[in-house]
Amino acid sequence: MSLTQIARSCGRLAVAMKTVRVASAVGQTQLRMLHRIAMPAVSTQLCQKSCVENKITQRNYSAKSTIEDIKCRVLKVVSSYDKDSRCSWQTQLVRKYSAKPPLSLKLINERVLLVLKLYDKIDPSKLNVDSHFINDLGLDSLDHVEVIMAMEDEFGFEIPDSDAEKLLKPADIIKYVADKEDVYE
Amino acid sequence: MSTRRQAITLYRNLLREAEKLPSYNFRMYAARKIRDTFRANRTINDFEEIDRQVANAKQNLDLIRRQVIIGHLYTADKLVIEHKKTLRPDC
Repeated sequence: MSLTQIARSCGRLAVAMKTVRVASAVGQTQLRMLHRIAMPAVSTQLCQKSCVENKITQRNYSAKSTIEDIKCRVLKVVSSYDKDSRCSWQTQLVRKYSAKPPLSLKLINERVLLVLKLYDKIDPSKLNVDSHFINDLGLDSLDHVEVIMAMEDEFGFEIPDSDAEKLLKPADIIKYVADKEDVYE
Repeated sequence: MSTRRQAITLYRNLLREAEKLPSYNFRMYAARKIRDTFRANRTINDFEEIDRQVANAKQNLDLIRRQVIIGHLYTADKLVIEHKKTLRPDC
Protein backbone atom coordinates (compact mmCIF):
# COMPACT_ATOMS: atom_id res chain seq x y z
CA MET A 1 0.00 0.00 0.00
CA SER A 2 1.29 3.39 -0.93
CA LEU A 3 0.84 6.45 1.20
CA THR A 4 -1.78 7.92 -1.13
CA GLN A 5 -3.87 4.75 -0.96
CA ILE A 6 -3.80 4.87 2.82
CA ALA A 7 -4.85 8.46 2.78
CA ARG A 8 -7.76 7.71 0.42
CA SER A 9 -9.04 4.84 2.48
CA CYS A 10 -8.82 6.97 5.58
CA GLY A 11 -10.83 9.65 3.84
CA ARG A 12 -13.54 7.14 2.83
CA LEU A 13 -13.70 5.85 6.34
CA ALA A 14 -14.09 9.35 7.67
CA VAL A 15 -16.92 10.07 5.23
CA ALA A 16 -18.67 6.83 6.18
CA MET A 17 -18.31 7.67 9.87
CA LYS A 18 -19.76 11.11 9.28
CA THR A 19 -22.88 9.75 7.62
CA VAL A 20 -23.36 7.35 10.49
CA ARG A 21 -23.00 10.19 12.95
CA VAL A 22 -25.44 12.34 11.05
CA ALA A 23 -27.96 9.53 10.99
CA SER A 24 -27.61 8.96 14.70
CA ALA A 25 -27.91 12.67 15.34
CA VAL A 26 -31.17 12.80 13.39
CA GLY A 27 -32.44 9.86 15.38
CA GLN A 28 -31.50 11.58 18.62
CA THR A 29 -33.20 14.83 17.72
CA GLN A 30 -36.36 12.95 16.79
CA LEU A 31 -36.18 11.15 20.08
CA ARG A 32 -35.65 14.42 21.87
CA MET A 33 -38.64 15.96 20.14
CA LEU A 34 -40.77 13.01 21.09
CA HIS A 35 -39.58 13.41 24.63
CA ARG A 36 -40.57 17.06 24.58
CA ILE A 37 -43.99 16.30 23.23
CA ALA A 38 -44.49 13.55 25.74
CA MET A 39 -43.24 15.51 28.76
CA PRO A 40 -45.84 18.27 29.14
CA ALA A 41 -48.72 15.82 29.51
CA VAL A 42 -46.90 14.02 32.27
CA SER A 43 -45.71 17.20 33.93
CA THR A 44 -49.18 18.81 33.89
CA GLN A 45 -50.60 15.76 35.53
CA LEU A 46 -47.90 15.90 38.15
CA CYS A 47 -48.50 19.60 38.60
CA GLN A 48 -52.22 19.15 39.09
CA LYS A 49 -51.61 16.51 41.67
CA SER A 50 -49.16 18.68 43.59
CA CYS A 51 -51.50 21.66 43.39
CA VAL A 52 -54.34 19.71 44.86
CA GLU A 53 -52.05 18.53 47.63
CA ASN A 54 -50.91 22.09 48.26
CA LYS A 55 -54.48 23.32 48.49
CA ILE A 56 -55.29 20.71 50.98
CA THR A 57 -52.26 21.57 53.10
CA GLN A 58 -53.05 25.29 52.88
CA ARG A 59 -56.59 24.73 53.97
CA ASN A 60 -55.34 22.68 56.83
CA TYR A 61 -52.89 25.45 57.71
CA SER A 62 -55.49 28.20 57.60
CA ALA A 63 -57.88 26.15 59.64
CA LYS A 64 -55.23 25.55 62.27
CA SER A 65 -53.81 29.10 62.38
CA THR A 66 -54.99 31.39 65.16
CA ILE A 67 -56.52 34.82 64.77
CA GLU A 68 -53.18 36.36 65.76
CA ASP A 69 -51.46 34.70 62.82
CA ILE A 70 -54.07 35.92 60.37
CA LYS A 71 -53.89 39.45 61.73
CA CYS A 72 -50.12 39.43 61.38
CA ARG A 73 -50.28 38.23 57.80
CA VAL A 74 -52.96 40.71 56.78
CA LEU A 75 -51.02 43.60 58.33
CA LYS A 76 -47.89 42.55 56.46
CA VAL A 77 -49.73 42.48 53.14
CA VAL A 78 -51.42 45.82 53.81
CA SER A 79 -48.19 47.53 54.81
CA SER A 80 -46.37 46.31 51.70
CA TYR A 81 -49.29 47.46 49.56
CA ASP A 82 -49.10 50.85 51.22
CA LYS A 83 -45.42 51.18 50.36
CA ASP A 84 -46.06 50.52 46.68
CA SER A 85 -49.12 52.71 46.45
CA ARG A 86 -47.46 55.58 48.30
CA CYS A 87 -44.78 55.90 45.61
CA SER A 88 -47.31 55.97 42.79
CA TRP A 89 -49.38 58.50 44.71
CA GLN A 90 -46.45 60.86 45.01
CA THR A 91 -45.72 60.90 41.30
CA GLN A 92 -49.35 61.66 40.62
CA LEU A 93 -49.83 64.25 43.30
CA VAL A 94 -46.81 66.49 42.89
CA ARG A 95 -47.48 69.09 40.26
CA LYS A 96 -45.15 71.86 39.29
CA TYR A 97 -46.40 75.21 38.18
CA SER A 98 -44.23 77.81 36.58
CA ALA A 99 -44.76 81.23 35.16
CA LYS A 100 -42.73 84.20 34.12
CA PRO A 101 -41.76 86.52 36.96
CA PRO A 102 -44.17 89.44 37.18
CA LEU A 103 -42.95 92.36 35.08
CA SER A 104 -43.06 95.98 36.00
CA LEU A 105 -42.13 98.99 33.90
CA LYS A 106 -38.96 99.46 35.92
CA LEU A 107 -37.95 95.84 35.43
CA ILE A 108 -38.60 96.01 31.68
CA ASN A 109 -36.55 99.19 31.55
CA GLU A 110 -33.62 97.53 33.31
CA ARG A 111 -33.73 94.44 31.15
CA VAL A 112 -33.90 96.39 27.88
CA LEU A 113 -30.97 98.56 28.87
CA LEU A 114 -28.96 95.54 30.03
CA VAL A 115 -29.45 93.79 26.70
CA LEU A 116 -28.42 96.93 24.86
CA LYS A 117 -25.35 97.38 27.06
CA LEU A 118 -24.26 93.83 26.34
CA TYR A 119 -24.60 94.38 22.59
CA ASP A 120 -21.05 94.95 21.40
CA LYS A 121 -21.69 97.72 18.89
CA ILE A 122 -23.40 100.06 21.34
CA ASP A 123 -21.28 102.33 23.50
CA PRO A 124 -22.74 101.98 27.04
CA SER A 125 -21.71 105.53 27.97
CA LYS A 126 -23.84 107.02 25.16
CA LEU A 127 -26.79 104.80 25.92
CA ASN A 128 -29.90 106.53 27.15
CA VAL A 129 -33.58 105.60 27.19
CA ASP A 130 -34.29 108.26 24.56
CA SER A 131 -31.24 107.79 22.34
CA HIS A 132 -32.04 106.97 18.74
CA PHE A 133 -30.44 103.70 17.59
CA ILE A 134 -29.46 104.88 14.12
CA ASN A 135 -28.90 108.60 14.61
CA ASP A 136 -27.40 108.69 18.13
CA LEU A 137 -25.86 105.26 18.64
CA GLY A 138 -24.53 104.84 15.11
CA LEU A 139 -26.16 101.51 14.30
CA ASP A 140 -27.24 100.58 10.78
CA SER A 141 -30.46 98.81 9.80
CA LEU A 142 -28.83 95.38 10.04
CA ASP A 143 -27.70 96.10 13.61
CA HIS A 144 -31.19 97.28 14.37
CA VAL A 145 -32.55 93.92 13.23
CA GLU A 146 -30.11 92.19 15.56
CA VAL A 147 -31.13 94.40 18.47
CA ILE A 148 -34.78 93.53 17.89
CA MET A 149 -33.88 89.85 17.72
CA ALA A 150 -32.07 90.15 21.03
CA MET A 151 -35.20 91.72 22.53
CA GLU A 152 -37.30 88.85 21.20
CA ASP A 153 -34.97 86.39 22.89
CA GLU A 154 -35.01 88.37 26.13
CA PHE A 155 -38.78 88.68 26.47
CA GLY A 156 -39.74 85.46 24.71
CA PHE A 157 -42.15 86.66 22.05
CA GLU A 158 -41.82 87.49 18.40
CA ILE A 159 -41.90 91.05 17.12
CA PRO A 160 -43.23 91.26 13.55
CA ASP A 161 -41.25 93.27 10.99
CA SER A 162 -43.92 95.94 10.66
CA ASP A 163 -43.67 96.68 14.40
CA ALA A 164 -39.90 96.28 14.52
CA GLU A 165 -39.45 99.16 12.06
CA LYS A 166 -41.06 101.59 14.48
CA LEU A 167 -38.99 100.61 17.51
CA LEU A 168 -36.15 103.05 17.03
CA LYS A 169 -35.48 104.03 20.64
CA PRO A 170 -35.12 102.01 23.85
CA ALA A 171 -38.17 103.88 25.14
CA ASP A 172 -40.20 102.58 22.18
CA ILE A 173 -39.15 99.03 22.95
CA ILE A 174 -40.05 99.40 26.63
CA LYS A 175 -43.47 100.74 25.72
CA TYR A 176 -44.05 98.01 23.14
CA VAL A 177 -43.09 95.22 25.56
CA ALA A 178 -45.24 96.72 28.31
CA ASP A 179 -48.24 96.88 25.96
CA LYS A 180 -47.66 93.33 24.81
CA GLU A 181 -47.39 91.95 28.35
CA ASP A 182 -50.19 94.12 29.76
CA VAL A 183 -47.97 95.96 32.21
CA TYR A 184 -49.13 99.45 33.15
CA GLU A 185 -47.20 100.34 36.28
CA MET B 1 -36.98 94.11 -7.90
CA SER B 2 -35.89 93.77 -4.34
CA THR B 3 -36.62 96.36 -1.73
CA ARG B 4 -34.86 97.33 1.42
CA ARG B 5 -37.57 95.77 3.52
CA GLN B 6 -37.22 92.46 1.67
CA ALA B 7 -33.49 92.44 2.32
CA ILE B 8 -34.01 93.10 6.03
CA THR B 9 -36.62 90.37 6.30
CA LEU B 10 -34.27 88.00 4.52
CA TYR B 11 -31.44 88.91 6.92
CA ARG B 12 -33.66 88.27 9.90
CA ASN B 13 -34.98 84.96 8.55
CA LEU B 14 -31.48 83.79 7.76
CA LEU B 15 -30.21 84.60 11.25
CA ARG B 16 -33.25 82.98 12.89
CA GLU B 17 -32.86 79.86 10.83
CA ALA B 18 -29.11 79.69 11.40
CA GLU B 19 -29.70 79.68 15.17
CA LYS B 20 -31.54 76.39 14.84
CA LEU B 21 -28.58 74.48 13.41
CA PRO B 22 -27.75 71.78 15.96
CA SER B 23 -24.02 71.60 15.28
CA TYR B 24 -22.07 74.33 17.07
CA ASN B 25 -19.55 74.81 14.27
CA PHE B 26 -22.15 75.11 11.52
CA ARG B 27 -24.28 77.42 13.64
CA MET B 28 -21.45 79.83 14.42
CA TYR B 29 -20.14 79.74 10.88
CA ALA B 30 -23.56 80.45 9.40
CA ALA B 31 -24.20 83.40 11.73
CA ARG B 32 -20.77 84.90 10.98
CA LYS B 33 -21.08 84.33 7.25
CA ILE B 34 -24.55 85.90 7.06
CA ARG B 35 -23.47 89.00 9.01
CA ASP B 36 -20.26 89.48 7.08
CA THR B 37 -21.84 88.96 3.67
CA PHE B 38 -24.67 91.40 4.31
CA ARG B 39 -22.18 93.99 5.61
CA ALA B 40 -19.88 93.45 2.64
CA ASN B 41 -22.73 93.90 0.15
CA ARG B 42 -24.41 96.89 1.77
CA THR B 43 -22.91 99.39 -0.68
CA ILE B 44 -24.04 97.68 -3.88
CA ASN B 45 -26.00 100.08 -6.08
CA ASP B 46 -26.51 97.95 -9.19
CA PHE B 47 -30.07 96.58 -9.18
CA GLU B 48 -29.22 93.45 -11.13
CA GLU B 49 -26.42 92.65 -8.74
CA ILE B 50 -28.74 93.18 -5.77
CA ASP B 51 -31.31 90.82 -7.28
CA ARG B 52 -28.59 88.25 -7.85
CA GLN B 53 -27.44 88.50 -4.24
CA VAL B 54 -31.01 88.27 -2.92
CA ALA B 55 -31.61 85.16 -5.02
CA ASN B 56 -28.39 83.72 -3.63
CA ALA B 57 -29.53 84.48 -0.09
CA LYS B 58 -32.87 82.77 -0.69
CA GLN B 59 -31.09 79.73 -2.02
CA ASN B 60 -28.89 79.67 1.07
CA LEU B 61 -31.93 80.08 3.32
CA ASP B 62 -33.40 76.92 1.79
CA LEU B 63 -30.05 75.21 2.25
CA ILE B 64 -29.93 76.14 5.93
CA ARG B 65 -33.51 74.91 6.43
CA ARG B 66 -32.60 71.58 4.88
CA GLN B 67 -29.47 71.30 6.96
CA VAL B 68 -31.41 72.06 10.16
CA ILE B 69 -33.69 69.11 9.47
CA ILE B 70 -30.86 66.80 8.48
CA GLY B 71 -28.80 67.92 11.47
CA HIS B 72 -31.65 67.06 13.83
CA LEU B 73 -31.96 63.64 12.27
CA TYR B 74 -28.30 62.88 12.91
CA THR B 75 -27.37 64.72 16.09
CA ALA B 76 -24.00 64.46 17.72
CA ASP B 77 -22.96 65.22 21.32
CA LYS B 78 -22.55 68.83 22.28
CA LEU B 79 -19.07 70.27 22.33
CA VAL B 80 -17.39 71.09 25.64
CA ILE B 81 -17.64 74.84 25.01
CA GLU B 82 -21.42 74.62 24.72
CA HIS B 83 -21.86 73.55 28.36
CA LYS B 84 -21.41 76.95 29.85
CA LYS B 85 -23.43 79.02 32.25
CA THR B 86 -25.33 82.03 31.08
CA LEU B 87 -23.52 85.32 30.87
CA ARG B 88 -26.26 87.15 32.69
CA PRO B 89 -25.17 88.06 36.24
CA ASP B 90 -28.58 87.66 37.90
CA CYS B 91 -29.08 84.02 36.85
